[in-house]
Amino acid sequence: MTALWQMPAAAIAAAVRAGHLTAREVVTACLDRVHRVDRGLNAMLGNRSDAALAAARALDEERQRGQALGSLAGVPIAWKDNLVLEGELATAGSRMLEGFRSPYSATVLSRLQRAGAILIGRTNMDEFGMGSSTETSAYGPTRNPFGPDLVPGGSSGGSAVAVAADFCPLALGSDTGGSVRQPAAMCGVSGLKPTYGRVSRYGLIAYASSLDCVGALARTAEDLALWLDATAGADPADPTTVPAQAPVTPHLANRRDLAGLRIGLPAELNGPGLDPEVASAIERAVSQLRELGAQIVECTLPAVAHAVPTYYLLATAEASSNLARYDGVRYGLRRDAVSRCEPMMMQSRSAGFGDEVQLRILLGTFALSFGYHDQYYGQATRARALLCSEFARAFASCELLLSPTSPVPAFPLGSRIDDPLAMYLCDVLTVPASLAGLPALSQPCGFTADGRPIGMQWVAPALREDLLLQVAHVFQAHTDHHLRRPVP
Amino acid sequence: MVQNLADLARLHLPVERQAALLLRLQRIVLAFDTLRQLPTEQAPANPPALPPLGLRPDVAEQALPLAQVFANTRHHAAAAFVVPRVVDA
Repeated sequence: MTALWQMPAAAIAAAVRAGHLTAREVVTACLDRVHRVDRGLNAMLGNRSDAALAAARALDEERQRGQALGSLAGVPIAWKDNLVLEGELATAGSRMLEGFRSPYSATVLSRLQRAGAILIGRTNMDEFGMGSSTETSAYGPTRNPFGPDLVPGGSSGGSAVAVAADFCPLALGSDTGGSVRQPAAMCGVSGLKPTYGRVSRYGLIAYASSLDCVGALARTAEDLALWLDATAGADPADPTTVPAQAPVTPHLANRRDLAGLRIGLPAELNGPGLDPEVASAIERAVSQLRELGAQIVECTLPAVAHAVPTYYLLATAEASSNLARYDGVRYGLRRDAVSRCEPMMMQSRSAGFGDEVQLRILLGTFALSFGYHDQYYGQATRARALLCSEFARAFASCELLLSPTSPVPAFPLGSRIDDPLAMYLCDVLTVPASLAGLPALSQPCGFTADGRPIGMQWVAPALREDLLLQVAHVFQAHTDHHLRRPVP
Repeated sequence: MVQNLADLARLHLPVERQAALLLRLQRIVLAFDTLRQLPTEQAPANPPALPPLGLRPDVAEQALPLAQVFANTRHHAAAAFVVPRVVDA
């Protein structure tokens, strides 16, 4: 029999709406699971037990009064600690924001609450989203439930582990260059980065504003579709949002197979440099997709060869500007041992930011500095435009693009943290879709011989999350990679 | 170079940290130099990546109550944030 904490979001919401389960039973089971298991994983930075149980009780009372419940009724959800909720702590994984309580809520969290979801706690992350392993968190690294000495990926590693370890069926992340998809791949769950602007960024602590997207992690494509339908759409508080599109969930099961679907395999994302076991898993997945009726076509995205420097120059340039707000005056850590204002700001920033954040601020400052601006930031902007046009050309010959999500499976803790370039290269397959603002989804497609999950990444044209989720749903219906759980 | 960048970025970098940081930065910039060789004459002037902005009406809205504004600061007085001296008397 499936334990309550193992149920998908769609099943929980249906059972709570029908009165077969109470929200309180579900939330209690998930919180118990967190208390029993998280000590060894460090996925959660804070639980909201009392508030979550109170919200669950209120929801159960609404049902008893005959009120209609939302699409995520009673579903426990954890959120990455760079999304703010009124009255709750929000640290972005940084000492800089230790003790900070938000005076307002992120739109995405408010919309989830309106849909009946129960917010249970904040998840660990790389500091300000800057990392690919959740090792740069000021609150200690998160461990992968598939191996305690392995990283979970990052920067949304805490959220990926929260789903993989069955703390909750859905968790929120943010994805600037792959921070939802890469940890999803390394933890054996699915992760969706929507089209830039499809989900509001209001209340997301900014890293690189032209790239940042709120995303979600779950076991099933159906749960990701429920999340998207509950949260997407225009938000007056975020001028980059696009108007609501047709809901995805009602049409999720429209496809029984992939007949007629043209899937492009970009040579640059499927070539040398891949771990052999990752390459083999993708080959097997491609065979399965062919058996399901898909037509595989070759395509090229030459600018992908320059995607990592393009991404890191743009992202760090934006970060150097976004993180200028942390000066110790209005909020955040403050060093008072100096009697002048500017030294106070400089010492506060150096004490509050970790090494990787300071390195990226310096890199971004360099890319924007006089004499280098056009060679670095300007060139990266042009390379981004070129990459966008190459994606547009690729989608003329296929409906979706497929590649591995990460060139390597989960690696040992501490093995890359002292080599920034090696860490940045973990993002080589995910940053292209981020630069182009395109929707992308990672889903499990196999395991290494020693049991580490492997993910594959789908990329679709802008606003075609419906296609991504339909195809992921079909693949899950014919495979069982997404059902394999780590040893409890 | 690192000291200049740190000043621009308002970071206090002790001298003993500067050499290691400089090495890391140089390695990254050297690796990223390949980007400068990418021919970008064909790049469109207006990339289609970002959606058009949907700006909200430019009207004043209710601000946060002062108590909430100051809830996360360590030093404030009346309706102002307090900082150390900015200029010498």
